[in-house]
Amino acid sequence: MHITDGYLSAEVSIGAGLIAAGALGLSLSKLNQTLSLRTVPLTGMMAAVIFAGQMIKFPLLAAPAYGHLLGGVLAAVVVGPWAGCVALALVLFLQMALFADGGWLAYGANVLNMGVVGALGGYAIYSFIRARVQGRKGIVAGAVIAAWTSVIAGSTLFCIEFALSHPDGSLDLSMLFTLMTSFHSLIGVGEALITGGIVSYILAVRPDLIQEPLSRRGAVAGLGRIVGTGAVAALAVAAFIAPFAAEGADGLEAVAQRLQFDALEWKPWAPLLSDYEVPIPGVDYSSGFWQKLSVSLAGVLGTSAVLCMTFAFGRFSKPRLADQDAGPSHAG
Amino acid sequence: MQGPVMPADFLDRFSRGNTVCHRMPARLKIVLTLSVIFVSIVLPASYWPAQGCLACLVFAALSLAEIPIAYLARRILLILPLVLMTALAAPLSHGFASGWETAFGIVFRTLVAFLAALWLVNTTPFDRLLAGLCRLGMPRLFATLLAFVYRYLFVLFDELARMRTAQRARTFGPGPVKTAWKSRVQLVGTLLIRALDRAERVHGAMCARGWRGKMHSLN
Repeated sequence: MHITDGYLSAEVSIGAGLIAAGALGLSLSKLNQTLSLRTVPLTGMMAAVIFAGQMIKFPLLAAPAYGHLLGGVLAAVVVGPWAGCVALALVLFLQMALFADGGWLAYGANVLNMGVVGALGGYAIYSFIRARVQGRKGIVAGAVIAAWTSVIAGSTLFCIEFALSHPDGSLDLSMLFTLMTSFHSLIGVGEALITGGIVSYILAVRPDLIQEPLSRRGAVAGLGRIVGTGAVAALAVAAFIAPFAAEGADGLEAVAQRLQFDALEWKPWAPLLSDYEVPIPGVDYSSGFWQKLSVSLAGVLGTSAVLCMTFAFGRFSKPRLADQDAGPSHAG
Repeated sequence: MQGPVMPADFLDRFSRGNTVCHRMPARLKIVLTLSVIFVSIVLPASYWPAQGCLACLVFAALSLAEIPIAYLARRILLILPLVLMTALAAPLSHGFASGWETAFGIVFRTLVAFLAALWLVNTTPFDRLLAGLCRLGMPRLFATLLAFVYRYLFVLFDELARMRTAQRARTFGPGPVKTAWKSRVQLVGTLLIRALDRAERVHGAMCARGWRGKMHSLN
């Protein structure tokens, strides 16, 4: 999941680093205003929870592989967007400095893709939905949809960074989008499932822990939220549109011809690729429309899975404890 | 509360050795590693001699630090599939006719940078790494936050291990996928709730000891 050094060029790494540093600085100054002395214990503890929570392996249906929490939206829902963004940056830094997960120069890009998009962008979508759907249903639906959307948006951002790093035409952007979007649509479903589950569990056990959305003070706060929601939603939509938009270019046709022509070379990689896309037996992949088909399928499957989750969690996240309004009670 | 206690070095296992590399000042190691990574990225992939020299340098440093080969091989095997997938995007764009050089460049540079980073984190304990980064200009607040997270990771891992032991004691096996997910969601959820309560208590304790937003250390 993490970008290691070597994927991105130095210019792109530095550019992403500057944007991430700006977002982090803004988050820290906002935190100092609202939390003051509580900043360190609260944000730090949230980061530690996400770090430890990522160690918990969630079994996938049939595969021997495991998924895990990413946590951007979860952190933002529980401790607010600014603390969530800083917490994700801390987690990414520790993974880099303890395990060498994620590159040192690519740290800014990692913070941008997962922390800024995950926590700040995810929170924008969450509060957008929460302002329109009342009660617990709004909280869970917002968290689920924000989790899925932010994963897709992060992968789109990575595609853009990757493409910017290799500007010499050695990369076909639509191909990259096809692979990444199909893959991350599934990862996003897992993230939405985990985030929705944890949020509805907290709502059932300790509803006082879920933050109220930041109050609507003036037009600027509302404008910022709308801009954030729009940007993340646009990134997510772009992931699904990009493979179609490039149709006019010769790239796709050339690829299709090559794929047909180099049938021998194509075959060894087929099992590798089927991990990425939704495999559809019996469809003529070589005609070039398999990209669109797999992206559309991944999009449709992902969206319907997220919608199902929204309804399911909304129904089952009723309060379980009768005395849940009695105030905070220590769990242990 | 008794339970499994995480050993102090379970996060950075090889970083407390006593070789030349371990004794080097942290600041020097950080600057060296970052410059190796930077040079490897900035140089075009077609400069094979230079790239090869960088790789040799990294290998020499790794063997000087006496980091076990098996550990390095395991780490590389874990990241290799993802790196190969991403690198394949280039030849895939050209129907496997060209673009192999770009792909090979990505894989090679990624491995060099990854090994250099592994050398840094496995020769420098986290506290010294943090002190070195602070002297290189990392903001104090961010360093304080990192130190806090590092300290409480051990506490939370202990807590998680206790909860898993309890969960295993109550059940016979992982059960079907749905049950497994539910129990893991509750595990993370409970960890989150307990940790936020703990943050409140820790905050009180810090304030009682005169916390004014700045951490003091002996070095």
